[in-house]
Amino acid sequence: MGETLFLDLKDFALAVAAALLPGGLLASVSALISAGAVLVVAPVTMMFLTWVERKGVGRFQDRYGPNRVGPFGVLQPIADGIKMILKEDIIPDGSDRLLHNIMPVLAAAPVFLLFLVLPFGRGMVAADLNVGVLFFLCISSMQSPMIISAGLGARSKYSVLGSMRAVVQVLSYEIPMVIVIVAVVMTAGSMSTSEIVAAQVRDGWFVLTPWGAFGFIVFLIAATAEANRSPFDMSEAESELVAGFHTEYSGFKFALFQMAEFLSAFASAGLAATLFLGGWQGPGFLPSWAWFGAKALGVYFVLVWFRATLPRFRIDQLLALAWKFLFPLSLLVVVAAAAWYFMPLLPALVTNLVLLVGGYGLLSSWILSEFIRMNAPRAVPDAR
Amino acid sequence: MPLMPEPPIPAADALDEEVRRHVVVTRWNDLIATVDPVTSWGRRSSLWPLQFGLACCAIEMICTAASRFDIARFGAELFRPSPRQADLMIVSGTVTKKMIPMIVRLWDQMAEPKYVLSMGACANGGGPFKEGYNVVSGVDEFLPVDVWVRGCPPTPQALLNGLMELQKKIDEESFVGAWKRRRRPEVEVPALGPDLVDRRQIPDIRAAAGKGEAQRLVEMKLKPVLKPAPKAGPLSSLEASDAALKDAGMKLAARVGADHVQAAGHALVVDRSVWGQAARVLRGEMGYDFLANLTAADYEGTLEVACHLYRTDQTGGQLAVKVRTDREQSEVPSVSAVWPGADMQEREAWDLLGVKFTGHPNLKRILLWEGFAGHPLRKDWCEAYYEEPRKMFSSRWKEGRVRPGETRVRWGRNVIYPDGFDPSTLPADDAVPADSGNADDRHLPVSLGPQHPSTHGVFQVRALLEGERIVKLEPVMGYLHRNHEKIGERNTWIMNFPYTDRLDYLTSMANNLAYAIAVERLAGIKVPERAEYIRVIMAELTRVVNHLWSIGFLLNDIGAWFTPSLYAIEERELVLDLFEMAAGSRMMCNYMRFSGVAADLPEGFLPAARTLVSERLPRAVDTLDKYLTKSEIVGSRLRGIGVLPRDRAIAHSASGPVLRASGVAYDIRKAEPYSIYDRFKFDVVTAPGGDAYARFLVRLGEIRESLKILDQALAGIPEGPVIEKNQYLLRPPAGEVYSRCENPKGELGFYLVSDGEGSPYRYHVRAPSFINLSAFDEMCRGHLVADVMAILGSIDIVLGETDR
Repeated sequence: MGETLFLDLKDFALAVAAALLPGGLLASVSALISAGAVLVVAPVTMMFLTWVERKGVGRFQDRYGPNRVGPFGVLQPIADGIKMILKEDIIPDGSDRLLHNIMPVLAAAPVFLLFLVLPFGRGMVAADLNVGVLFFLCISSMQSPMIISAGLGARSKYSVLGSMRAVVQVLSYEIPMVIVIVAVVMTAGSMSTSEIVAAQVRDGWFVLTPWGAFGFIVFLIAATAEANRSPFDMSEAESELVAGFHTEYSGFKFALFQMAEFLSAFASAGLAATLFLGGWQGPGFLPSWAWFGAKALGVYFVLVWFRATLPRFRIDQLLALAWKFLFPLSLLVVVAAAAWYFMPLLPALVTNLVLLVGGYGLLSSWILSEFIRMNAPRAVPDAR
Repeated sequence: MPLMPEPPIPAADALDEEVRRHVVVTRWNDLIATVDPVTSWGRRSSLWPLQFGLACCAIEMICTAASRFDIARFGAELFRPSPRQADLMIVSGTVTKKMIPMIVRLWDQMAEPKYVLSMGACANGGGPFKEGYNVVSGVDEFLPVDVWVRGCPPTPQALLNGLMELQKKIDEESFVGAWKRRRRPEVEVPALGPDLVDRRQIPDIRAAAGKGEAQRLVEMKLKPVLKPAPKAGPLSSLEASDAALKDAGMKLAARVGADHVQAAGHALVVDRSVWGQAARVLRGEMGYDFLANLTAADYEGTLEVACHLYRTDQTGGQLAVKVRTDREQSEVPSVSAVWPGADMQEREAWDLLGVKFTGHPNLKRILLWEGFAGHPLRKDWCEAYYEEPRKMFSSRWKEGRVRPGETRVRWGRNVIYPDGFDPSTLPADDAVPADSGNADDRHLPVSLGPQHPSTHGVFQVRALLEGERIVKLEPVMGYLHRNHEKIGERNTWIMNFPYTDRLDYLTSMANNLAYAIAVERLAGIKVPERAEYIRVIMAELTRVVNHLWSIGFLLNDIGAWFTPSLYAIEERELVLDLFEMAAGSRMMCNYMRFSGVAADLPEGFLPAARTLVSERLPRAVDTLDKYLTKSEIVGSRLRGIGVLPRDRAIAHSASGPVLRASGVAYDIRKAEPYSIYDRFKFDVVTAPGGDAYARFLVRLGEIRESLKILDQALAGIPEGPVIEKNQYLLRPPAGEVYSRCENPKGELGFYLVSDGEGSPYRYHVRAPSFINLSAFDEMCRGHLVADVMAILGSIDIVLGETDR
C-alpha cells in the first residue's frame, strides 16, 4: 500500500529520461532526482517542523498556538516565509560584510547533505554510502565553524560570546555521540545506514537492548546539544545573550539559520530513529517511509517537549555534563554492547545491567554534586 | 406574439469583465494587484514583536501572550529579543527621557517593514506621569506610530484589538509602495544634556538658549513655597510618650557629646560634625543594624537627611535620626561604610535633592543622568510643565479652562534648557558610556540592558567579564524614573493612590494598603472591621500573585521557555478576576481609601475567593513545588548562586524574601503588626542558604502561608461598613511619619511629611526593589553571566518601584 510510491515515481522519471537521453547520463539523472527530492523535502519539512514547534509548545503552555491562517494555522510557516524573504537585509556597519553575507548560506547548505544518507524507507536512501554514519557526523559538525564565523563576523559582543560557547559545546558533545555510534556500528558490523537498519531487522531494534537504551539516551542528549536546542541552547541563550550568534542577522539570513537549526535537529532525530529505533521497519499496515517519518517525528517531538519543559544548563555545567557524565557513560555503553554481542543472553543481561545501571547511578549522583560545587563563585582579580 | 426585443448585450464589456476576472495578469498593475494581497497576508500574519517592555503595560503585554489571550493565534507570539528580527515595536509603557535614546536606537536597528504600536496612556502622551521631569510626552515625538492603544494599562483584549487594527493597516499596504520606501531614514538618537535634546532641534535650541529664551513661554504665577524645618530642641523637650526615643537620645548623647544630639518632633537631630561617629555608635553599641530608610527633605535654608533605623533582633522600635545641613553648601558625612544599604539611597538623595555625602565612594547620579540640570526634588526646582505648587490647578478647576502643558513651553514638549546652553557641544553618540570599566585584553565590558530579555524591564547591568565570569558589575537604573515623588508632592493626598498602583505594578493592592496605613497613622484615622479584613485579603492575594509571577519568571531567567511563567500567569489571571470584581480594574486597582476601601465586595466575591483559595491555588502551588523544587536543573542552576550571608543581608538593608532567605526571621507583619495581622496564625518562612534557591523556596513557602491567612480571613470576615468616611480633601495635621508594610517584594515604606495642607510636603517611597539591589554586585562577583540573570530574578525587582 504505497510502499513503493516514491520509488515508482523515481522509476517513472528515469524511464522518461531514458527515452530522451543517451544511456550514459542515466546514473547522473538518477542521482539528480534523488538530490532534487531532498532539496524539495527538506524545506517542506522545515516549514512543518516550525509549525509543530509552535503548535506543540503552545499546547504545552495550555494555549492554542497559531490558528488564524489556514486550518489549525498550518499556513503559518508560509506567512513567516513570505514576511522574512521580504524583510530588509541589514548589514551592520561594524560587521564583516563577506562573512555576514555568506555564512547563513554556508550554515544551511550542509544540512541538506545530512538527508542524503538517511534511509527514508525501504530502499529509499539518496546516497547509500558505505560510510554513511561517518559522512553524517562529518557534515553535521561542519555547521559549527559556520556558526562561529557567523557570530564573529557580526562583531557584536553577544554574538561573539554565543560563538565561543558554540565552539566548546560542539567539541564536547561530538565525543559521547561518536562513541555511542561506535557501539551501534560494532554491533551492526557496518557504517552504512541501510546496513544498520538491516541489522536491526535481523536482531531487533537496538533500543530494546540495555546498551541500546542507554546509548539512545546518550545519543539523544548529545544530539540535542549538537543541534543547539534547549536545554543546551547556549549559543543563542535568549535570557542571557539576547539572540546569541544570530543577534545581528535579519530577514532571510535569520531564516536560514533557523532552517539549519530545525533541519539538523530533525536529521539527528532521523539518525536516532535509524540507529536505535529500527529505521523504517514496522508493521506492514503503514508503508516503510511512513514508519520512518513517524519515528523521526516522535524523536523530534521529544526535543520540542524538552524545549517546552526544561530550563537551560549553564555553560560550565553543560561541559561538565558532557565530560563527567556522558563521556564515561558512553564508554560503558560500548563495553556493554560488546558484552551483549559475545555473551549468551543471561550473563550478557547481568553484565549490561550492572555496568549501565550502576554506572548511571554513580555518575549521575556525582554530576549532581559537581553542579552544586561548581556554583561557588570563583575569586576573580578585581579589575579596579 | 411579437418577439420582445432582447436587451442589448455589451459584448465587449462583458468579455473585458470576464478576462479581468479570470485571466488576471493582463497588465502590470493587475500583476501587482495579485502580489499585494499575498505579501500583505504574509506580513500581517507574522508580526513578531520586539521583546522589550517599558513599564506596567509590559505586564499586560506578557499576559496577552499567556493562555487566556494567546497572541500566538495571530502568529505573533515569537517575541524576538533582537531588534533585527522583530517586525513590531510595542512601546509598552512610560517613555522616559533617559530611555528614549535606547528606544530610538532600537527602532533604527529594526529592519523594514517595521511598525510601532503605542500601548497605553504613557506611550501615547505621557499619561498620568506627563508632568514628570523625566517623562517624554508621547513616543510619537520621535517615532512614527502606526497604531495607538488606549488604556492605563490597556487590557490584553485592547492590545489584541490594536494588533488587529495594525493588520488592517497592513492589508492596505501596497507591496510596491513598501518596496520603494524600503528604508525610511533613521531617526536621530536624541542626546541627554541638561535635559533631553532632540538633535533635529539643535540649531533652534542654540539660538534660543543664547538669547535666554529656551525656557517657559508663560511665567509661573504661583511659585513653590519652602517651609521651615521643624524646630529642634533639647532632648528634655520630648514628651513622655517618646520615652524610648529620649532614652536612645541620651545614650547617643553620652557617646558623641550632649550638645550634638537634639530632638525635633519624634526624631533625634544629630549634628553633622559627629554623624559618622554617631552612626557607628548606633550600629555597633546600640544595635540598630537595619537602616530601613534614608532620604532627605528640602526646607527653608536647610536640607534634612532622615534615617529610619530598626533592630532585626527585636520587634518594633523605630528610631528616626536626622542630620541637617545648609541648603546651599550641603555636606553630610556618608554612612555607607556603616550601613552598606545606605549607598544607593545616598546616591538617590544626592541625585534628587543635591545632598552632598562626603566620603561616599561613588557619589554619582543614580536615577537621572550625569549632566542633568539641577536636583529636581528641591522645592524651588520646577519642571517644564510646572503650573502651580499644589493641585487642583486653577487652570483646570474653577474656570474650567484647560491649557495643556505643551502650550506653555517653548518647544512644545516637556523640556527646558538653561540659559546659554549650547547643544552642539554634546557628544555625537552616548551609546557606550566611557566608564563601563577599564577594558583591557583580558576583560570584556558588556552591557546587559536596558533592553534585554531578562532584566525584567528597563534595567541595565554593566558588567566587566573575564571569559564569562563577572569581575565587576554595576546596576544602572532610572530608565523608568517617572518622578513619582515630585508628582506626589503636588497631588492631594488621595490622588496618590492611583500612583502607588504604578509603583510595583504587580502588587497594586499591597501598595495601596501601605500608603493608606501611612496616611492613617499620620492623620490618626480609624478603619472599620470589615475593611480591615478586605484589606488583608487583598494584600495576601497580591502576595500570592506576586510570588507566582516571580517564580515563573525566575525560571524564565534560567532559560525555561516561558512555560512555568505562563502557568503562573494562568493562576494570576484568576486572582486578577477577583480584583476586577472588587475594584473594577484588574491590574491598577486603586481600591483602598483612607479609613477603608473604595467599595464593598460585590456579591459572589467571597464564594469565588474561597473556592480559589481553598481548592485551586493550593493545587497550583503543589504543582510548582512538584515540578520545580526537585528538578535537577533548577537545583543545579540555583543552589549556591548569589549567596548573601545573614550579616551582609542585614547590612545591605535587604528586606522581604531576600532577607528571610538569608536566615533572618524578620517579617514586618510579625515584627510590627499593622492592620489586623496580629489576629492571624501564620509562620515566618525562612531558609538558611541565602542563595537563589533559598529565595525561591521562601517565596514558595510564603504562598502557602498567605493561603493560610486567606483561609482565616475569608472565614472570619464580618459584616459592616467598609469605610468610615470618604475623605477627598484630607488635611493631616502637620507632622511626619515613616510607616512600612511587608509587601511581597519586601519593606515598602512611606516617609510622609505634612505641613497641614492638602498635599504632602515631602513624599518619599522606600522601595524594596530598589534597596534589595544594593547587594547585587556583591552577590554576582565571581559568578558567570548566566548566573547574573538567575540572581536578578531571585531578587525579584519591578522597575516601576526601583526607579519610581
